[in-house]
Amino acid sequence: MLWLNLLINGLVWGCALGMVAVSFSLIFATTRFFHVAHAAVYGLGGYVSWSALKHGLPEWAALLVGIVVCGLAGAAIQKLLYERLDRRGATHLVILIASLGLSAVMQNGIAAIYTSNVLQYGLPWGNRTTIIGGALLTNTQMLTVVFGILSYLGAMWFAHRTVLGKRMRAVASNPFLAEITRLQPRQVHIAVMAIGSALVCIPGVLVPLDLGLQPFGGVPILLTATIAVIAGGVGSISGAFVLALVIAVLQNLSLLVMPGEWSIGITFGIFVIFMLFRPRGLFTG
Amino acid sequence: MDFLTTYIVLAEIYVLLGLSTNLLVGIVGIFSVSQAAVFGVGAYLTAFLLMHTALPFPVAVLLAAAFCVGLNILVTLPSLRVSGDYFVVTSFGIQLLATAVFTNWTGGTGGANGLPGVPAPLILGHEFTEPTEFIALTTIGMALGCLCFWLMMRAPFGALLRAIREDELAVAALGKSVLGAKVSAAALAGAFAGSAGGLYATFLSFVDPSSFDLDASIFLLTMVVVGGARTLAGSVLGPFVLLALPQILALIDIPTSIAAAARQLIYGLLLIVFMLFRPQGLLGEKL
Amino acid sequence: MTAYLQVTGLNKRFGGLQALRDCSFTVGQGRITCLVGPNGAGKTTIFNAITGFLVPDTGHVEFQGRSLDGQSPQQIVHHGIARTFQNLRLFADLTARDNVLAGMQDHVGEGPLGAIFRPFHTARALAAKQDAAMAVLAHVGLQDRASALVRNLSYGEQKLLCIARILATGAELLLLDEPTSGLSGAALTEVMALLRRLQAEGKTLLVVEHNTRVVQQIADDVLFLHHGHLLAHGSPAEIIADPKLAEIYFGGTL
Repeated sequence: MLWLNLLINGLVWGCALGMVAVSFSLIFATTRFFHVAHAAVYGLGGYVSWSALKHGLPEWAALLVGIVVCGLAGAAIQKLLYERLDRRGATHLVILIASLGLSAVMQNGIAAIYTSNVLQYGLPWGNRTTIIGGALLTNTQMLTVVFGILSYLGAMWFAHRTVLGKRMRAVASNPFLAEITRLQPRQVHIAVMAIGSALVCIPGVLVPLDLGLQPFGGVPILLTATIAVIAGGVGSISGAFVLALVIAVLQNLSLLVMPGEWSIGITFGIFVIFMLFRPRGLFTG
Repeated sequence: MDFLTTYIVLAEIYVLLGLSTNLLVGIVGIFSVSQAAVFGVGAYLTAFLLMHTALPFPVAVLLAAAFCVGLNILVTLPSLRVSGDYFVVTSFGIQLLATAVFTNWTGGTGGANGLPGVPAPLILGHEFTEPTEFIALTTIGMALGCLCFWLMMRAPFGALLRAIREDELAVAALGKSVLGAKVSAAALAGAFAGSAGGLYATFLSFVDPSSFDLDASIFLLTMVVVGGARTLAGSVLGPFVLLALPQILALIDIPTSIAAAARQLIYGLLLIVFMLFRPQGLLGEKL
Repeated sequence: MTAYLQVTGLNKRFGGLQALRDCSFTVGQGRITCLVGPNGAGKTTIFNAITGFLVPDTGHVEFQGRSLDGQSPQQIVHHGIARTFQNLRLFADLTARDNVLAGMQDHVGEGPLGAIFRPFHTARALAAKQDAAMAVLAHVGLQDRASALVRNLSYGEQKLLCIARILATGAELLLLDEPTSGLSGAALTEVMALLRRLQAEGKTLLVVEHNTRVVQQIADDVLFLHHGHLLAHGSPAEIIADPKLAEIYFGGTL
C-alpha cells in the first residue's frame, strides 16, 4: 500500500504547506506585494524555538516563544521597512528588492549563528507512531494535521468574524477607499503582518521536527505555498488551503513515477505553464 | 598580479550579466530573478559543446548564446501575460527549476559535482589558458556588450522600452508593438547572459550548480542595484565594486565556516540600504 | 457617399451592465464632433471600441469605407486613427520630446538589430525624428518645454502634450477624451484654439466634452449618448435647446 502512505504523507505535508499558504495569503491579499522575506520568518520561527528548547523550556513554551518572536518580527518588518518605503512612494519593484535583501540578511544571519548544517530538535516523542484507520502516523504528523486544520479555521474566523479581519478585507479590496474612510490601512498592514508571521512559525517548527532545521529551507516551501495562493485565487483563504493540499498530495503521489529530487522542479514547471494559460487562478473568472 | 587579473576577468564577465539584468529589470521593468539560470545554461552548453564536439570556441559560444536567446524569450513570456508581482513568483520558479536540472541531471551536467575539464578557448591556433591572456577575450566581450547596450539605449528602441515600462497601454495606443519590443529585449538579455556563461565556463574550466543558483541571481540584482539601475555606467561599475567586496572581507578575520553566509548577508544588507537611502545606486537612475 | 467614420449597432455588456446598446452614428470628414452625455453614458467605451481596446459583442466600425472589426489598437493607428486618454497616460519619466517621439510611425531604429548594426543610419533617422518631434511640439506651443520631464510640466502643458503625441502618429482622425477637463482661463482658450487650428489643417476630431460652453464654441455636430445609446444628434444649438436632453444631462433622471 505504497500509494496510501504517499497519500497520507501528502495530506500531512499539505497541512503544513497549507499553514504557510494561509499565512501568506493573509499578507499578500492585504499588502499586495510579494513579501519574499516571509520565507526567512518561517526559518526564524524554527530556530528561535530550537534555541528556547535548548535553554530548557518545555515544548509548548518554546513554540510560544517562536510565535511571539515571529509576530514581533513581522510587525517590525512592516513598520521599519515596508511602510518606510511606501511613504517614500517606492514602486513595487523597490519594495520587492528590499524584501529580497531582507530575506538574504535574515537567512544568512541564521546560517552565520547556527551554521548551515542541519539541526535536529531531538524530541523522541515526535517519532512515536499510532495506527489510525490502518495508516501509520507519527505524533509529529498528527500534530501537523491538528495545527493545520486549527490554523485554517482560525484564519477563517479571523477574516470573517473579527473587526480587524473585516478591516483587513476592506483594505484588501480597496486600499484607496480604506484610506479616506479612516480604516487606517497602515495599522491594518502591521497587524496583518504580525498575525501572518506568527502563524508561519507553526509550520516553521513542525516541518523541521521531522526533517531538521536548515537556514534556507523556507524558500522552496514559501514558493510552493505561493503557487497555492495564486492558483487558489488571491484573497481566498480556503482556495489557498485546498490548493496546498492538492499540490502536496500530487507531489507525493508523483514519487510513484519519478525520483523525489525532481518533484520541486516538476511543481514549478507545471506552475510556469499554468501561469501562461490561467494567470488569474483556478477559481476566478 | 595574477590575482588582480583574475578579478578583472571575472568582473568583465559579470558586466555582461549586469547588462542582461539591467535591460530586463531596470529598463523594461520585468522583475526577473532567474538571470543566473540563463547564465548557467550558457555555461553548461558551452562546456558540453567544447568537451563533446570539435566545434571551435567562438562557434560554441555563439551557439550557446543563441540557445539562451530562445530560452530567455521563453522564460520571459509569462511576463507578457501576468503582471509584475505574479511574474516574480514565476521567475523564482524558473530559477528553482533550473537549479533542480543542474543538480539532478547527472548525465548532462555532472550533477552536484559539476563538469570539470572544460577546454580553454582555442582561437586561430592560440590557446587562452592564463588569465593574462584570457583578459583579452573578456575585455572584447565586455566592450562589445557595452557598445550594443549604448547603441540601443541611444536609439528610438531605448525610448520605446522605457515607454513600455511606464505605460504599456499608451504605447499600444501609439501604434507600437509592445510584444515585439519586449521579446527583443528578452532576446538581447539572453544573448548577454549566454555569452557570459560561455566565457565563465572556459575561464574557470569548470562549471557546477552553485554558480547559477538563486543566490547568484540575487547577486546579479545586487550588482545592478548598487552600480545603478537603468544606466550603462551603473552596469559596469556594479560588478567591479561587488566582486571587490569579498577581497575586502578577506582582510577582516571572519571564520571560513561562515564566510559565505557573511558575504550573502552583506549583499542583502546592500539591497535594503540602497532601496531605503539611494534607490538610484551609485551611478544610475531612481528605480 | 460613405461616411468618414461609420459606427453601426455596437453592443457591449460588462456583467450586468449594458455599456453600449445598439449604438450607431457617423462622423463627417473635417468636422469637429462632440460626444456628450451624462457620466457612465458610454463615451469612453465608444472610444475603446473604435480604437481596438475593446471588442464589442456585436456591431461594426468602418473608417473611410474599410472595416476595422477585429483589428488591434496597433493596426488601427496605422489606419490613421489615434486617441488620447482621459487620465492622460503620458510617460512621466520621459521628456516631452521623447513622449512625442514615441508617437512617430517611422519605425527606423525601434528594433535592436537596426540600432546595433546600422548605428549611423539610426543616428540620422533619430536626428530627423527629433526635428520632426520639435516641429510637433512647436505646433502645440510646447517647443520651450521639449527637454522637460513630463512630471515637471503643468497640467495644461500635459494636456497639450497628449494631443502632440497623437499628432505625431500622423493620424487623420483624432479621438480626444476630455481634452479640456480641469482647465480654465488661458489654458482652456489655448486648447480650444488648437482644436480649431487642427480642423483648419484638415484633421477630423471626435471629442468627448463635458463643458457645454466649449461644445457650443467648437462643435460642428453633437452626438448625445445616454445609457450606451445614441439619443440625439444635431448642431450644438439644437441639442442644447432640447429641454428633454438638458433634463437628462443636468437633472440626472437616470
